[in-house]
Amino acid sequence: MPPLLEVCGLGKRFGGFVALESIDLNVETGERLGLIGPNGSGKSTLVNCLCGALHHDSGNITFDGRPIDGLPSYRRTRLGLARSFQLPRPFRSLNLVDNLRIPLLYTVNARPGARLSDGAIGERCLALLDDVGLADKATRLPRDLTQVEMRKLELARAVASAPRLLFADEAMAGLSPSEVEEILVVLVRLNEQGITIVLIEHIMRAVMSFSTRLVVLVAGQKIADGAPQEAIRNPEVERAYLGE
Amino acid sequence: MGTAKFWGVSFLVAAALLVLTRAFFANEYFFFAGYVVLQYIVLSTAWNILGGYTGYTNFGVGAFFAVGAYSSVVLHKLTSLPVPVMIVVGGLMSGILGFGMGYLTLRLKGVFFAIATLALAIVAQTFIVNWDYVGGSRGVYVIRPQQAPLYGSYIQYLFSLMLMLGWVSVAIARTIERSRLGLGFNAIRDDELAAEAGGVPTLRLKLISTTLSGALMGMAGAPLPYYVTYLDPASSFNLSYAVNSVAMPLIGGMTSWIGPVIGAVLLGTIQQLATVTISSALNLLIVGVLLIAFVIIAPNGIVGLVQARRRARLR
Repeated sequence: MPPLLEVCGLGKRFGGFVALESIDLNVETGERLGLIGPNGSGKSTLVNCLCGALHHDSGNITFDGRPIDGLPSYRRTRLGLARSFQLPRPFRSLNLVDNLRIPLLYTVNARPGARLSDGAIGERCLALLDDVGLADKATRLPRDLTQVEMRKLELARAVASAPRLLFADEAMAGLSPSEVEEILVVLVRLNEQGITIVLIEHIMRAVMSFSTRLVVLVAGQKIADGAPQEAIRNPEVERAYLGE
Repeated sequence: MGTAKFWGVSFLVAAALLVLTRAFFANEYFFFAGYVVLQYIVLSTAWNILGGYTGYTNFGVGAFFAVGAYSSVVLHKLTSLPVPVMIVVGGLMSGILGFGMGYLTLRLKGVFFAIATLALAIVAQTFIVNWDYVGGSRGVYVIRPQQAPLYGSYIQYLFSLMLMLGWVSVAIARTIERSRLGLGFNAIRDDELAAEAGGVPTLRLKLISTTLSGALMGMAGAPLPYYVTYLDPASSFNLSYAVNSVAMPLIGGMTSWIGPVIGAVLLGTIQQLATVTISSALNLLIVGVLLIAFVIIAPNGIVGLVQARRRARLR
């Protein structure tokens, strides 16, 4: 079976700065992939290129067997590629239900096949909020949420588009250990429901317990790719994280 | 209230207003004044579709308005079409302008977009000033037909048309607000990147918004030549159209269809009263003072004030 996401020789530069240099990456269906690297190593740039928020300069991206280079972001979401943002970006003037209604209306209902009725969408929104424990705040505005709740909303909104592949970009940064645990539980459950997940994270404990495979980026290059325990023992990775 | 029901109810309100004004407006002047207020209901509702729902500030209102007016001038010189047809044509022309503006400038955000729309107004004005066929900078006289198509005077006819246009634009705004389109507009206003990641085709929606907003402004401008009977670039492209169309939704509230209506009725009426009782030069001062007052007291407009009050009571 071909990989769900196939990245081949992906490159991105900002002026003279090479942010990503010839990245090759495969993501298999059902995987839990951890993506780590020091600050500024290109993790978020990679996610932005894959999701269409940035356009890459070279290389090819294939999702589910079809090339998606140059497709606008919303088309990629409709194909089943969702993301959560590093800093939560809720729709601030809309309540939580309406926040989730956007991807349901514009992604799920935009796909070929049966369209959800208004009632079904409302129920689905509530069910999604319930999954992340926010059902009792359904009619509140995002500004009433705490930081961890905001992250959960961010995840719920990404999941609302019924993705096949989810990029969770630092979904846990700045959270307390018990809150990290909460988010991990949500992510593992999503994975069990059949969503392939790429976790971009700094918190090593979380990455190590979550990932079935680890990819390490340093200065725009992929320096390791393999089982988590092996990847972090790679001498290049140690050098990048701990110095000479 | 469902969308279809709203169209019906609002039509009845407009029709009732039509009958009542015919019955009670003893003086022709009231129709002149009412026309301006209604025109601002259309303009501010149109502005709010792009500015309030979608979050893009358009200072080029004068351009869209004047393009509607000047397309009527051209039609007037070429043909003898009835005014409602001219309104449709004016809307088409301004809609095309809106589409073009959207395509060229929507990569810009916030204040840069606003500046670009202001520049558009200047470019369009320069074009008209140098176009001799429509009178250039010296302006053009437009002679009204002797007879109004319906019973009553010509100004009553124009007033009725503007009333219907007001009904249509308010009903369109309300329809959008409750639709998938409106939710998409709101998502763009709140966070464009997140909207795109949620599957919202942002460019397409923004083009719909600029086109629709521009078209309604052009429709508001199309009967203007017959209203003023003398049209010149300096007055038809006047910045006060933009200032008023921005101020009215701000004062009324930008999140709901009723906001621009409240703002237009309030501000438009005050301006008309001031024009008669004090001086017409006072108009912009009134706008300025009210804007400052509202920015301080009720930054979300009258509608925002009411909503906040209601929310506070619920808690």
